[in-house]
Amino acid sequence: MAPAAPQAFRPRPAVAAGAFDTRNRLHKEKTLPTLPDTKQKGLVFNIQKYSVHDGPGIRTIIFLKGCSLRCDWCSNPESQALHRQLAYNPQKCLGVDACKRCLDVCPHKAISVGEDRKVVVDFTRCDNCLQCAEACPADALNVYGYEVSVEQALARVEEDDIFYSRSGGGLTLSGGEPLYQSEFALALLREARKRRINTCIETCGNVPWEVLKEAGRYLDSVFYDVKSADSARHARVTGTGNERILENLRKLREAYPGLAITVRTPVIPGVNDDEASIGAIADFVCTLPGATYELLAYHRMGTPKYGYIGRTYPLEGVGNLPEGRIEELRAVAKARAECCQAAN
Amino acid sequence: MSCCLSPQEQMLQNQIEGRENKHRSEAGHVRAFKILDRVQTLTPKVDVERGKYFTESMRQTEGQALVLRWAKAMKNVAEKISVYIDDDQLLVGRAGSQGRYGILYPELDGDFLDLAIQELDKREVSPFVIDPSDAKVIMEEIAPYWKGKTFHEDLAVALPEDTLKLTYYPDNVLLSRFIVNETASFRSSLQWVLDFEKVLKRGFKGLKEEAQEKLAALDPYSPVGNCEKRPFLEAVVTVCDAVTIWANRHAALAAEMAAKETDPVRKQELARIAETCAWVPENPARNFYEAMQSQWFVQMFSRIEQKTGTIISNGRMDQYMYPFYKADIEAGVLTEDEAIELFECMWVGMAQFIDLYISPTGGAFNEGYAHWEAVTVGGQTRDGRDATNDLTYLLLRSKREFPLHYPDLAARIHARAPKRYLWEVAETIKEGSGFPKLINDEEIIPLHLSKGATFEEINDYAVSGCAEIRMPNRDTYTSCCAYINYAAALEMALYNGRMLKYGDELIGLETGDPMKFTDWEQFWNAYLAQQLNFIKHAFIQQHNIIRLRAEHFAMPMGSAMHDLCMKNCVDIHTPQIEGGINLGYFECIGYGTVIDSLAAIKKLVFEEKKVGMGELIEALRTNFEGKEDLRALLRNSPCYGNNDSYPDTIAHAIDKASLEFTKKYSQELGVHLDLRYVPFTSHVPFGRVVSATPNGRLAWTALSDGSSASHGADINGPTAILLSNYASKNYDYRERAARLLNVKFTPHCVEGDEGTAKLVSFIKTWCDLKLWHIQFNIINKETLLAAQREPDKYRNLIVRIAGYSAYFCDLSKDLQDDLIARTGHDTM
Repeated sequence: MAPAAPQAFRPRPAVAAGAFDTRNRLHKEKTLPTLPDTKQKGLVFNIQKYSVHDGPGIRTIIFLKGCSLRCDWCSNPESQALHRQLAYNPQKCLGVDACKRCLDVCPHKAISVGEDRKVVVDFTRCDNCLQCAEACPADALNVYGYEVSVEQALARVEEDDIFYSRSGGGLTLSGGEPLYQSEFALALLREARKRRINTCIETCGNVPWEVLKEAGRYLDSVFYDVKSADSARHARVTGTGNERILENLRKLREAYPGLAITVRTPVIPGVNDDEASIGAIADFVCTLPGATYELLAYHRMGTPKYGYIGRTYPLEGVGNLPEGRIEELRAVAKARAECCQAAN
Repeated sequence: MSCCLSPQEQMLQNQIEGRENKHRSEAGHVRAFKILDRVQTLTPKVDVERGKYFTESMRQTEGQALVLRWAKAMKNVAEKISVYIDDDQLLVGRAGSQGRYGILYPELDGDFLDLAIQELDKREVSPFVIDPSDAKVIMEEIAPYWKGKTFHEDLAVALPEDTLKLTYYPDNVLLSRFIVNETASFRSSLQWVLDFEKVLKRGFKGLKEEAQEKLAALDPYSPVGNCEKRPFLEAVVTVCDAVTIWANRHAALAAEMAAKETDPVRKQELARIAETCAWVPENPARNFYEAMQSQWFVQMFSRIEQKTGTIISNGRMDQYMYPFYKADIEAGVLTEDEAIELFECMWVGMAQFIDLYISPTGGAFNEGYAHWEAVTVGGQTRDGRDATNDLTYLLLRSKREFPLHYPDLAARIHARAPKRYLWEVAETIKEGSGFPKLINDEEIIPLHLSKGATFEEINDYAVSGCAEIRMPNRDTYTSCCAYINYAAALEMALYNGRMLKYGDELIGLETGDPMKFTDWEQFWNAYLAQQLNFIKHAFIQQHNIIRLRAEHFAMPMGSAMHDLCMKNCVDIHTPQIEGGINLGYFECIGYGTVIDSLAAIKKLVFEEKKVGMGELIEALRTNFEGKEDLRALLRNSPCYGNNDSYPDTIAHAIDKASLEFTKKYSQELGVHLDLRYVPFTSHVPFGRVVSATPNGRLAWTALSDGSSASHGADINGPTAILLSNYASKNYDYRERAARLLNVKFTPHCVEGDEGTAKLVSFIKTWCDLKLWHIQFNIINKETLLAAQREPDKYRNLIVRIAGYSAYFCDLSKDLQDDLIARTGHDTM
């Protein structure tokens, strides 16, 4: 099956072609010798301990870079590009009166001095050589993305093993779309299963079925995003239609009846915050035996990170859902679920 | 409540939050709220009566055995001190005037009390008011007697010169240098727990009879019998009489008030108070009410008896009160609400007694009217079964429903603690004030077995003070211990035995000019030499303290309640008591500060050579002026608290070097003088003498507290904090004592039943890791506001939104505001 080609996406601010080797994607022809799982390498942008909201128990989340969707509301914009990239948080900048280290090292004159005496990054000149981030003492200039092997990543995960034993927690893969770096992700899951680590994934489902099918073999639970039941609308706000996503979900349910599946919908004002939209997704969920459904309220907490990587937030000016709206929609979803249970 | 936040601050915060309490009107709580409303806003008053009558008696008994003099002084106080019965109260017994009050212990500070008392109402923290006529009593009756007679005067003379200059300003021994700080001179005893059960079961009559039998059985020809045992036993008889006299005076007053009372309900209550006080604590308690009143008399009289560090603790209340509770509930003469009401009458009584510190050092250690009268719940029975009972849950419920930071509540946790208990403990923690603090049986029990306790003794331990534990009939060590400024040792390694605060004066060792050091080993050895030199002087201090304290302090009531004191006929302050275990400590202050500083030097100066030693020292001398970039670099180097083996290895080595010292020299003192990390609020005054440190900490600011990470340095979440703590401990040594650990959570992290379940599993893991202590701060709106104002201190504050998380301080102002608004809804 063909990969989701970047050209299929709506035009977005250009991101430079990756310095990262994408050879480990399952759908690419296997011309290179296959590495053992523990040696597989991938690009992650965070490994977060003590996650208590994404899966059972106390968990560690590995955030993988790269995504096949471009959702307007994405709260992890630094996850989208599959390469290491510069980020700049002016709040941490010491100001040029205290420190000029980045100005001295930038080979592209991409860094200048702003009115507030802090530095300004011109991302159009930046080629992600990342020398400035290396020089910055304050972590104001930083890098999203670093390469790790499965061995290294799971060593970090296993540091908290004693917490998993007590809480029933484990590893969650998130992103980005964690299965976008499919070989790395699958190696992580396979090895985690071998080490008896509880596994969970947060996926948008927009990946080749073979990848998802393989992942399902090593998973204990899945959070599966369905943004809209309407393909045209889905394409308008994420850059891609929903056919493969829904189809994959159905197949996943069929292939792994024992897998804990939670379908999630981020409720976005003006996109799917109406009863019809949520009702339609809820109806679809009803066709998946044992799957649960939950709604996540839109939030703007990812906004600063757009600035850090030189982008503007696509939903600038969109406010939170009105008070009580999410509860109303949850009630709609619940009513549909009960209705369909009764029908079965 | 955190040991390291002032209770006052916590109380203010609750008020700002406007947490109006729905429990105010509930049957069990109405009375306590009514009393609390009346007293809680009053500025504490100094009451001179205890100091006055104590001094009056001591004047008349010079030359007699100290313990007997003390008992006679207690009797004089018991006979003459004003007695009160507060409106609405069901429990009676105050050590001073109505409202919030503090009392005087001139045996500690009488020689400078006249000077200090004039400053009390002007103090910025913990002010007190004093009546002019009372001030006159201090000037004319109390202070003059004590000049030249106090313990601290003797101690200052006894300390060798090298030790003295690390302890006090040589020209003013009232002022601590906060380097190797002694704490024995601002309190008569370490934090302590009495065997309350003994009085509940036998009454003071029983203890008195025991002493009388022993007196009758003394060998009439024995010099020790005549000169030591006899006065001790006479002191026990006298002090038992004293407590009984005091209680009977309350009985008489209550009867008198009952006769005049026109409200029939109150009249009945007063009559019951009269009846109860005429019976306990002289006789064994016959019901729950009598048990509560008896316990209260004992704890209040113990406060009159002496100034115990952080106030006498309450022991295992859910254990020794349970038989009385159970019998009354089964007999149908007591309801749960009535039991809650009595407990809360006790809590509001506690809240009115303020532990008044006169000495400037004592004040600095206990900012904000500190108090740790720990009530212990849960744990195991003497035969090692789970000890949880209905009272355990009742005490937890009271803590959830009655928003008072008294008493300090401590919950014992063990591997088999029942699910309901852990759940209710977690729910109580979630209330937001941080109670209860947790103490780990799985660390404490095996550790104390190795120190010589029996299973039944250590299974029955009670939490005492901040994070310590006591076996009330086995512990025999009361000398307060040294607080060592490890950050000052680091500073002395940087400046060749000197500190910027104290100029050119050589206070420590000359370990060489660090500019000439060529490798990390040299710097580490210089630091280690300074650290060991401090510990050496701490032990010299302690040697003198142990010897001198017994000449100055006695505790006849406390001794009467202690098996070993009665068996050996000696006061508890005697340096060595046969059969006792002497559990002392020395305190490490600034652990995180030192670890992070050493890690930064090792990595940036010696390994990566990104920073020159000269450049570093220059920046430290000028408090990083114009060197913000260097400071940022230092702050971003590896820090303790992140489960990073680079700093944690250094942490382990610092800990180990300290343990090695005590392993070798503790025996000479006859004490387990073990390594502890529990600072009260002292990491603040200790920080005030330490200039800028290589972890990027600015000069004169607070040091890290306890075994917690430096402020804001732990950026990898709470599991990493526990794992670093675990990694830095030396489990192959028995010379370790308490470690205090603070962990912060956002309310969102522990939201709902799922949050409680995850908090429970976090606690179970902490238990598995055999860490000593933990307390939680559930961070609320107010803290987020503070984080906005001072982001530097809150770098590690993580805020969670489903599917995404961020460091609060990375968010922009308007998003922070957004989040503050949300968190307002989350506040528990």
